[in-house]
Amino acid sequence: MQQIGEVSDAQLVTSIARYSEIALAEVYRRHGGAVYGLARRVLNNASEAEDVTQEVFLRLWNQPDRFDPGRGTLRSFLLTQSHGRAVDAVRSLNARRLRESGEARRTATAEYDMQHEVWDLAVADQVARALGDLPDDERRAIELAYFDGHTYVEVADLLGQPEGTVKSRIRNGMRRMRAQLVDAGVQGADA
Amino acid sequence: MMTHEESIEFLATYALDAVEGVEREAVEEHLAECPRCRAELDAFREVTTALGNSVEPLPEGLWTSIASRLPGRGDDDRPPMPRLMRDEADGADGGDSGEGAVTPLVRARENAPGRGRFATVAAIVVAAAAVVTVLSVSLVHANDQVSQLQHSQGPAAPPGAVVAALETPGHKVVNMEGADHVRLAQFVIADGRGYLVTSTLRSLSADHTYQLWAVINGLTISLGLMGQRPNQTTFTLAGSPSVSRLGITVEPSGGAVVPSRPMVAQGTV
Repeated sequence: MQQIGEVSDAQLVTSIARYSEIALAEVYRRHGGAVYGLARRVLNNASEAEDVTQEVFLRLWNQPDRFDPGRGTLRSFLLTQSHGRAVDAVRSLNARRLRESGEARRTATAEYDMQHEVWDLAVADQVARALGDLPDDERRAIELAYFDGHTYVEVADLLGQPEGTVKSRIRNGMRRMRAQLVDAGVQGADA
Repeated sequence: MMTHEESIEFLATYALDAVEGVEREAVEEHLAECPRCRAELDAFREVTTALGNSVEPLPEGLWTSIASRLPGRGDDDRPPMPRLMRDEADGADGGDSGEGAVTPLVRARENAPGRGRFATVAAIVVAAAAVVTVLSVSLVHANDQVSQLQHSQGPAAPPGAVVAALETPGHKVVNMEGADHVRLAQFVIADGRGYLVTSTLRSLSADHTYQLWAVINGLTISLGLMGQRPNQTTFTLAGSPSVSRLGITVEPSGGAVVPSRPMVAQGTV
């Protein structure tokens, strides 16, 4: 017998397309913590992060066909959605001034498929190390853009560098991190 | 229109959501037509996914809040609340004729625009998911139990499906108890399907319905509407061995997306 914990993410999305609330709940159980965690890290505000998490899951419910399993994992899709909405919120609410310092906690959810979770977090650790290994200019540009929600134009302004330079540094840094993932054997690990 | 070379320059920054305005639109326009750029973007997104992949404990009540915003009653553009399937073996007894046609728990979206490709795949998936549930095998004396249940239900014999479920190895019987541990209903769950075996739930007025809920991993999820006079109904659990409890509430006739009132009966699975 197949248990819901063994049903693939893609299958769950198909069930969501048929209005299975249980399937949505299972996706929430598996990935909700990551969606919320990223939104909270970008927004540094629990209430706004909850709003983003709600939006992400309601959008999955209403438009499940936007997820294309051929282009990456469901976790990746949901995190992309979460980040995009969190960044929108940061920009529209100008919430940066309200932010406090602090790092997102990284804890595995007990119920989520542990094999995947451990693997995902191992990849995350690998990338975090790769980020730390980048030249300062590249690392700073990526952090300001991704974790603080700045556009590359704003990053250029903050760092006092030309926009084209910032764009190139982000690209070089991202490629370097990508290469490190490949070297570490985690290329497409979560695909 | 952005050229391929220009687009390539932007993709890493775009993956970080750090491109805005006309540039963002131009990148997206190019991405829609360029599989190579989409592949490159997907590769960068593996990096951003890993960067952003830190899990936080979910706030209490967030799921309830999400569930409460799922399509529900009174929203004409959205699907209605799922209703419990009437067991085919039950025949048309007309007992709940006021309830109208019965809709399966998992509704097809075949009619929804742009969703056609899900229809056939979904049928397979739902079938697979529905096989699930309830793994612990308690070797019950099925025949004794059937007799006992038949007795408890009075002269009306349970339909064949219920008997079959009770004779299925590994089935579970869930006693739904109200206040003072009075048993108000009984379900049997086997092979991912649940059947209402007996019910002494009182009849409700036309503007109310009983609604069945499952508690799965701490989340309370609607399994569907049971009508005003629960008789022989069937539900499908999109399979989870982690269904810990079933509960029944009285809701307005269209049902609720989250329980709006206290449970009138609950049972441990």
